[in-house]
Amino acid sequence: MKIYIVIPNLFLILGVLFISQIGRSASKSLLSTDPFLGIAPQDENYYKTSSEIFKCKDGSKKLNRAQVNDDFCDCPDASDEPGTSACPGGKFYCRNAGHVPLLLFSSRVNDGICDCCDGSDEYDGKVKCPNTCWEAGKVARDKLKKKIATYKEGVTLRKQQIEQAKLAIAKEEEELSKLKSEEKILKGLVQQLKDRKEQIEKAEEKERLQKEEEEKKRREAEEEANKEKSKAEKEANQEKNEVKEQVGSEEEPMESTHDDKIGVLDHDPLDQDVEEDKSNSVAEVEHTDKSENASPTDGIEQHAAEGKEESPVVHETDLHAGNEVSPTSDQATKQENDVAENTEGLSREELGRLVASRWTGENTGQHTEEVDAVKHDHHESHEETPEDTHAEEYDGYASETDDDSQRYDNDDMEDPVDEDFGEEDHYDSSPPYKSDTEDESDFSDITSTSNPSWLEKIQQTVRNILNAVNLFQTPVDKSEAAHIRKEYDESSAKLSKMQSRISSLAQKLKHDFGPEKEFYSFYDQCFENKENKYVYKLCPFKQASQEEGHSTTRLGRWDKFEDSYRTMLFSNGEKCWNGPDRSLKVKLRCGLKNEVTDVDEPSRCEYVALLSTPALCLEEKLKELQQKLELMNQEQPQGHDEL
Amino acid sequence: MLGHGKARGTSGFFWLNAAEMQIDVLGSGWDAESGILLPESGSRIDTLWMSEAGIVDTFFFIGPGPKDVVRQYTSVTGMPAMPQLFSTAYHQCRWNYRDEEDVENVDSKFDEHDIPYDVLWLDIEHTDGKRYFTWDRVLFPNPEQMQNKLAAKGRHMVTIVDPHIKRDESFHLHKEATSKGYYVKDATGKDYDGWCWPGSSSYPDMLNPEIRSWWSEKFSLKNYVGSTPWLYIWNDMNEPSVFNGPEVTMPRDALHYGGVEHRELHNAYGYYFHMATSDGLVKRGDGKDRPFVLSRAFFPGSQRHGAVWTGDNTADWDQLRVSVPMILTLGLTGMTFSGADVGGFFGNPETELLVRWYQLGAYYPFFRGHAHHDTKRREPWLFGERNTELMRDAIHTRYALLPYFYTLFREANTSGVPVMRPLWMEFPSDKATFSNDEAFMVGNSLLVQGIYTERAKYASVYLPGGQSWYDLRTGIIYKGGTTHKLEVSEETIPAFQRAGTIIPRKDRYRRSSTQMANDPYTLVIALNSSHAAEGELYIDDGKSFEFKQGAYIHRHFVFSDGKLTSSSLVPNAGKTLFSSACVIERIIVLGHSSGPKNALIEPSNRKAEIELGPLWLRRGKSAPVLTIRRPNVPVADDWTTKIL
Repeated sequence: MKIYIVIPNLFLILGVLFISQIGRSASKSLLSTDPFLGIAPQDENYYKTSSEIFKCKDGSKKLNRAQVNDDFCDCPDASDEPGTSACPGGKFYCRNAGHVPLLLFSSRVNDGICDCCDGSDEYDGKVKCPNTCWEAGKVARDKLKKKIATYKEGVTLRKQQIEQAKLAIAKEEEELSKLKSEEKILKGLVQQLKDRKEQIEKAEEKERLQKEEEEKKRREAEEEANKEKSKAEKEANQEKNEVKEQVGSEEEPMESTHDDKIGVLDHDPLDQDVEEDKSNSVAEVEHTDKSENASPTDGIEQHAAEGKEESPVVHETDLHAGNEVSPTSDQATKQENDVAENTEGLSREELGRLVASRWTGENTGQHTEEVDAVKHDHHESHEETPEDTHAEEYDGYASETDDDSQRYDNDDMEDPVDEDFGEEDHYDSSPPYKSDTEDESDFSDITSTSNPSWLEKIQQTVRNILNAVNLFQTPVDKSEAAHIRKEYDESSAKLSKMQSRISSLAQKLKHDFGPEKEFYSFYDQCFENKENKYVYKLCPFKQASQEEGHSTTRLGRWDKFEDSYRTMLFSNGEKCWNGPDRSLKVKLRCGLKNEVTDVDEPSRCEYVALLSTPALCLEEKLKELQQKLELMNQEQPQGHDEL
Repeated sequence: MLGHGKARGTSGFFWLNAAEMQIDVLGSGWDAESGILLPESGSRIDTLWMSEAGIVDTFFFIGPGPKDVVRQYTSVTGMPAMPQLFSTAYHQCRWNYRDEEDVENVDSKFDEHDIPYDVLWLDIEHTDGKRYFTWDRVLFPNPEQMQNKLAAKGRHMVTIVDPHIKRDESFHLHKEATSKGYYVKDATGKDYDGWCWPGSSSYPDMLNPEIRSWWSEKFSLKNYVGSTPWLYIWNDMNEPSVFNGPEVTMPRDALHYGGVEHRELHNAYGYYFHMATSDGLVKRGDGKDRPFVLSRAFFPGSQRHGAVWTGDNTADWDQLRVSVPMILTLGLTGMTFSGADVGGFFGNPETELLVRWYQLGAYYPFFRGHAHHDTKRREPWLFGERNTELMRDAIHTRYALLPYFYTLFREANTSGVPVMRPLWMEFPSDKATFSNDEAFMVGNSLLVQGIYTERAKYASVYLPGGQSWYDLRTGIIYKGGTTHKLEVSEETIPAFQRAGTIIPRKDRYRRSSTQMANDPYTLVIALNSSHAAEGELYIDDGKSFEFKQGAYIHRHFVFSDGKLTSSSLVPNAGKTLFSSACVIERIIVLGHSSGPKNALIEPSNRKAEIELGPLWLRRGKSAPVLTIRRPNVPVADDWTTKIL
């Protein structure tokens, strides 16, 4: 055995010596024996002519045929050296039979690194590159086959989704137009009731004034007492609400819903009082309604809104504090002195953190500054986020619809993936996120409006009422007046529900769901990905956020599709210290599930993620892949059998 | 301090002291109210030197030329170390390349765009909680594998190791340093506790040789877990930076080795830290591998231990401009291996500024792109195809000139004369150069001037001396001794080859300098008015200390009377300790009349064709220049090539 090893080694050493001897006097050994090395098949005709003259491909120069692949660059376009490294910017073609051919930069030729699986790029004898094309090719083919299988299934899924989306959209559009026409009628009725109610109230007022005249002094004293009482009541209620909000933040939204429902009943008598203010201003009324009624979603909503605002505030505080010690080098040096002189006020650790923050921009943890900044930012965040304000207004009457309920439903209770591949009838009726009990009851209200007999009934009732009440009767018939008030309350509540549904539907249908509406189903979904300590939450057409424990950072609001619907863009997220507003780019690719992966932050506060989804499984791309596989199979060297 | 004038030549004064000092320069702008009067003669500038503490040694260097003064100064403080060849190429850094995937991605993007680079850097975030010598194992689970992957492409990695040690009982280094009493002490004799990146930290007392030796052991492959032989080191914050200390450093009454107060040696701490780290890498390589350590703090003599950079600069045009006088000044004090962060550390450079910075940085002795973690990504391929092309071209230019740069590093290593020089060092009697710090020389052959303004259309470039200059890119000839108003394009900054010089290049670009080892050379001969030129080329293995035993090639090229002669500059050249199979594939002669068709090569008695070819292969169109095609003479041999 030993002899076998020793002898070839000797040969090898001799061989190396021999080559290096030759190498010193003549460098011919660098050249390949194949004069057509590195030429792509489509170019072969250009090179393989009998002519003794070779023209650079760009026509700039005529050369001797011997100058082709002679390891000296003659053509500015590198075309005379397809097989050597002589021309920077040239390209070397390796056939890689059994795998895919490759075009390399000429800088890879004879650089001691095996780039082509057939080893053809290394021919100067300095390294030996084994041919690995068959194994590598098999891996690549298997991968491609898997991809094709995914695409095949994905294309089907995509078609189904598109069908469902089209149906759902048509249905929603129909509902929208129906609701709009009904809204008109209901609006008229509410107006009539309102007029009537006001007339009654006037009459009542008159009556009341008369009585007041009679017992003026006593009344006044009583009035004073009443006022005090009602004020105390209001305060008590507010406190109650606050407590509820805090509780809500720790509890499942479902539970708080039930609590609040009971609450609504409790508060009913109060509503009467509130209504007297109603004529003042609509906005105010709604605001009051919200705080007094504490309707179930309101509680959640306020919590949600607070959550939304709170974290930016905290964050901006960081940024704010950081900003003050912004590390442009001039400032930094200046402050070095300042800091050195003002150390007394700070603990040693605080000082350390403060100076470090010049580089990092992190919160220095200085208390006084922080408090100021918080106050400041609180103020700012209210002033400077018109979008938030808008959302609040909108929520004012859209409180029970999708935005919030969906945020909770989908994220906390349902697996978005399951939902996506759930039952067939998934899109037939209203979207599944409405399955929440509270929503259903609300929704039944609205859907019942589509029943014409219901509308007629109201119309009839109103007509009866209006006819029955004698305006000029004094004293005012108490039961009649109460009846009218009740009818008015009910109808206007219905109207506002209807309007909120209209507004949310219109809002939804305004979106660009893709050329074939393939992204329609994204509207009601959020996708999550956990990456180390962060949870990333992407809600297409809405917003994207990063959550760490209880703190949420908005990475961006929905902006648009880009790159022919291959990228989703969320922009205008929370501002970064000394940097841009946060943003998130989501690259889409074909997959059988809607799944977010590979969330990354290549530059500070500029996030990227991958989302695989059937929506991207395009038929054309499938054909392309199939063709590629066919080509790869053709390239098989003989004697190999794929299966 | 260095004085230079036309009449009396150059002289130097060196005040060796490591304490806080103040130097008053009684020149124009001096406040006469201070009670100290300006000298009566306007041609004299007085200086006043004051040190807070410590010992002062002073030295006078008498010149008479600028290069003499630098030689004399470095004979006192030490010659610049011969760098690893790879470290003279392009470095890619950012605070921070976050994880292994990021590293792999950046690495492959360079290849995808055919842009060479040699070193990928990891800043503080790669560590486990800023404990140096450790890895964040979530982000970097397989550091050896990562480095080996880079090394497979001939690339290297640099990680950061700072002097502040996290005061964490579970950190072995802290435990060991504490138990051995290796930390700098506070005035009461307790281990000094200061705040830096890891929070509460202590600082090994690098003044103590025993502690330096202990520190240097930490770089062995065994001790530095996750390191490989392809890993080199970056020392930052070694002033030492202490975030909560007075003037962001250590208190003056902190106590060092031998009970000496910090005030006496503050400026030398970083030097000793650099030294200990550098020694560590020498030990790691068993004395066979040159260290590469970049340091932020330095002191006279730091040039013996590695490279320095100009610290945390900002992405603006003024800081691009000021990088040149900063590096020139460092060069005059022996610190020739220096550079500024290309692109500017803080802030986002506009694309034009970034491109201009690459074009200038390609001529810095130390060429590294770096960025703060709040900035946008700025790798060269992120700004559209055109800008990628421009930055690629700038980096390619550096790679083509690597043989020239390496030869200059050798010159610095033997003479102290810096790689990047002020104009007056090469033209000491040309008064117009004295205050010019916008242009500089790379060696004696290349003049470079940055473009320091946005959308510049023209640049005024003063070309010194009596000889002409050839535009480096186009070969167009310009008269010397006058200021030229030149049109400026986005493609390049003004750069010229001095007539009478020969510059060796390697025109084949690879993934990194490592793969260029066997590539052939191009010689660019720029003829002067008497049709003569000369230049040098130094080659060694690029990494070991064998050159100290004479294992190198040092060629002297002389062109005169139509004949190029290559001879050896190696003393006792008979013994060959280092050889190279590289040949010269192309000889370009600028300033020669066209017409000759052949050149005769002796002693092999072969003919090589002469034709008109491009000055550069990939850098746009230039007027055709006289090119000797494939002389293919071995670079290591004596030969002549005569134009017939």
